[in-house]
Amino acid sequence: MRHLARREWLKLALKGSLGLATLSSLQLGLLPRALAAGRAVPEGYKALVCVFLYGGNDSLNMLLPLSGQSLLDYQAARQSLAVTDPIALTPRTAIADGLGLHPALVGLEPLFHSGALALVGGVGSLVRPTTLSEVQAGKALLPKNLFSHNDQQATWMRGQDPHSPDSGWGARLLELMYDVPDFSSCISLAGTNLWQRGAALSPFGMSAAGVPELTALKGSGKRAAMLRDMQSRLFSAQQHPLADQFALSHSQAQSRSAIVATALSQAPVLQTEFNNANPLALQLQMVAKMISVQSLLGVGRQVFFVGIGGFDTHDAQNSVQPALLGTVAEALSSFYRATVELGLSEQVTSFTMSDFGRTLSSNGDGTDHGWAGNQLVLGGAVNGGDLYGQLLPQRLGSPVDMGAGRLIPALSNSQLFGSLAGWFGADQTAQQLLLPELSHFDSGALSLFKS
Amino acid sequence: MLVVRTLPKRLVICALSLQLLYLPVAATAAEKLNAAEAARLLQQASFGPTLSDIHAAGQFTAEQWIDWQLSMPATTHADKIETLPEQKTPVPLSRLETWWRIALTAPDQLRQRVAFALSEILVVSDQGNGLNNRVIALANYYDLLLTHSFGNYRELLQQVTLSPVMGVYLSHLGNQKADVANNIRPDENYARELMQLFTIGLYQLNPDGSKKLDAADNPIPTYDQQAIEGFARVFTGWTSAGTTNFLKPKADYLRPMIPFAAYHEPGEKRLLNGVVLPAGQTPQQDLQQALDLLFAEPSLPPFISQQLIQKLVTSNPSPAYVGRVTQVFIDNGQGVRGDLAAVVKAILLDEEARSGFAGVARPFGKIREPLLKTAHSWRVTQSASPSGHIYLRTLADSHNQAPLQSPSVFNFYRPDFSPSASLQQAGLVAPELQMLTASNALNMQNHLYSQTVGSIEGLVANPSQFQMLARFQPFADVLQHQGLNVLLDQFGLLAFGGAMPAELRLILTDLASGLGNITPAQKAAYLWYFILISPQYAVQQ
Repeated sequence: MRHLARREWLKLALKGSLGLATLSSLQLGLLPRALAAGRAVPEGYKALVCVFLYGGNDSLNMLLPLSGQSLLDYQAARQSLAVTDPIALTPRTAIADGLGLHPALVGLEPLFHSGALALVGGVGSLVRPTTLSEVQAGKALLPKNLFSHNDQQATWMRGQDPHSPDSGWGARLLELMYDVPDFSSCISLAGTNLWQRGAALSPFGMSAAGVPELTALKGSGKRAAMLRDMQSRLFSAQQHPLADQFALSHSQAQSRSAIVATALSQAPVLQTEFNNANPLALQLQMVAKMISVQSLLGVGRQVFFVGIGGFDTHDAQNSVQPALLGTVAEALSSFYRATVELGLSEQVTSFTMSDFGRTLSSNGDGTDHGWAGNQLVLGGAVNGGDLYGQLLPQRLGSPVDMGAGRLIPALSNSQLFGSLAGWFGADQTAQQLLLPELSHFDSGALSLFKS
Repeated sequence: MLVVRTLPKRLVICALSLQLLYLPVAATAAEKLNAAEAARLLQQASFGPTLSDIHAAGQFTAEQWIDWQLSMPATTHADKIETLPEQKTPVPLSRLETWWRIALTAPDQLRQRVAFALSEILVVSDQGNGLNNRVIALANYYDLLLTHSFGNYRELLQQVTLSPVMGVYLSHLGNQKADVANNIRPDENYARELMQLFTIGLYQLNPDGSKKLDAADNPIPTYDQQAIEGFARVFTGWTSAGTTNFLKPKADYLRPMIPFAAYHEPGEKRLLNGVVLPAGQTPQQDLQQALDLLFAEPSLPPFISQQLIQKLVTSNPSPAYVGRVTQVFIDNGQGVRGDLAAVVKAILLDEEARSGFAGVARPFGKIREPLLKTAHSWRVTQSASPSGHIYLRTLADSHNQAPLQSPSVFNFYRPDFSPSASLQQAGLVAPELQMLTASNALNMQNHLYSQTVGSIEGLVANPSQFQMLARFQPFADVLQHQGLNVLLDQFGLLAFGGAMPAELRLILTDLASGLGNITPAQKAAYLWYFILISPQYAVQQ
């Protein structure tokens, strides 16, 4: 218990000997105010939802040219992997040779045209602005271990060079804004992840099914009270550092799950439908439920992490990727509709990240690990209906092709993160603190949000 | 404090164990294992010590016990898979059912434990790909690991590389030479993961497992993109056995893949350290030479040795320990490199493995994987279902892992995962904690509760055909006739390889009195449940 943050102490103090489950909704309503006392709180409510596409989404193939030489180059590079029936988009800023959307993303088309969805083109992990000639001359300062899955996932999650201790920009963003961010500001539906690990913060990892209750401690009798007491003694501080970490995780899991379960028991029933067979949709449905009770949890800012794997399409890309993209589109559009239903669409922004883009060239029926790619940013506050950054030429041997169609990013992912963090409430100084590499790039290049 | 007490005659095995436990002088490697030593070895070298296994090991020295285990034939899985009653063909659950049965009861425990460790290094998975219904094929791959667990790592690499399951998983089955006119180049998947995960890792290593540094103190990469492309060209021209037309592979997920020279990249292949394989070699020649090259790399012995140490013994081995095992990997004493039997023996007989728990300088031990916890509990309580089968349908929720069901080739957890700033600042890793979330923590506790307190044989009314029933009666007898202290000594031996940590013993003593009027079996089950979920038991020491 000794590791609990101040706010949790308060919550536990409020709970008294009654147990959270017995708190009335009136008491729960008072929690936020009690907890907010004594520190500056950012105004209003906002949430960032990271949708991680594990394996390295061939995101260059989500957006493609519709005509002219660009299309011929695309088809020559992509061969049998070229998309043949794209959906024509009409971005606010016209793009030469047009902008086509992968047909599996059809569910996102209305969101693009209504202005909720923005596309970010040609983005990747960069340490400095990088040109092909610098790469070829061996003079480019490159991210370490380009093309390696776990290393590149980490570049997206960290938003900075590796440090010890390692941390992610999602957690650091909260730690910049709050002295001691509440655990319920940092929630993962897809397991432990670096994006949500900070100096002290780590994600509260829950499942799409919600939070379980401990069978052994159910009930209200004398024995249940005794068992609860024994269990809290069991998970007290340990001498062995690994055992201590385990004990801490378990005592926190128990107290925090009780808080979350109590809040969720007050959640309104969402009318928006989520497909039960879509695992990403189920994760996002739980995110929507958590957002629906944010005022009970008393947090003004939340970062959520969801994820789906399978994007490492070395093989059978033409069947695997469309199915995955369809899953993503369906889940994202349900989630957006849920935020509209909750009246919070302008306060919630979801965005994609992935290990890397993939090669333009084919290995027969799939693609290999690349670099630059495209990402999606969705929400009511987003100035959507447009492509930000660049639609990189999908041409082998182009000035951004470092070989086999591994494209050099035109935008650093830190520029994307900076824009998201700015909307979340981090000013320029905070953004620079959060994302040290941002100083080497134009930090104002992406105005993804309505002013 | 442990004191020698008069030993009752009721449970011979238990009495023997306790007698040995109280031997005041720790035995050396040349002496027969006392009960505590046997239990500690069995933690690292089996799916968890039981009283009978501790007793059996007491006839041996540590080395003799390992030699005895090394000499046992493999209990294979593929031939023991049974279909579910309502199914015509085996489903993935049938494979897991076999895995549990063998983990709980097979005599070749050391081999099974090492194969399980290898399955988390040389990863294939039936998740999210075309292998999800290839039940026998997956089990056959596991058998391949079992068969070579005490063989040579070079041969294991050969078999893994040619396994059609690996070929499908990392997509080198059907990989073809470049088609320049159509901008098609060989698939880089296997080339990359073979190097990053199966052989040499990202950075050059010293024999003690530390990273080599250049003049500017930076780690030195083991390979670059050019080497990936070279190896990708090597792994071309292989497809399923029985295929006659390369472009129309026969579905054979069992036999090793076969070469088709016409689809093999004919040009030269630039590999590592300036080594170039000449043009015009056969697929077999290129594959042999490429694997030989990786096998000879100085980073391979520490890269694999360190991970095996982490999976069997301790997450944070001393560099000297890694160095000693690396030396055996390099040369088993008879000039042979890659002798896994010698490596496993070196790992387990090392001074640090045998008495590292007593040291204070370096936190010794590793987080027990959820699968190992359940296996151990079921072994200790001789759990079985009325049907004799073991179907556990909630592995994903509770354990967050299942054999050959990793979310990717990067396994359920990375060997360098460290969950908190404080552990990182102390330079410590806790790889297995990468699987731990709040929900899993609670679900796992609920699972263990249901398998102990909720499954006491004799107390469960009308158990289903598949409910695992835990035999707590022997422990209840100890409690009833010899008292709580003797039972806690016995649990201490089983769970901690010796004395139970004092603070835990105190909690359990209070628990026992707080539980009041319940049957001895229930009391024993509650005590065992609290041990299973305790932070002390969480670390295998």
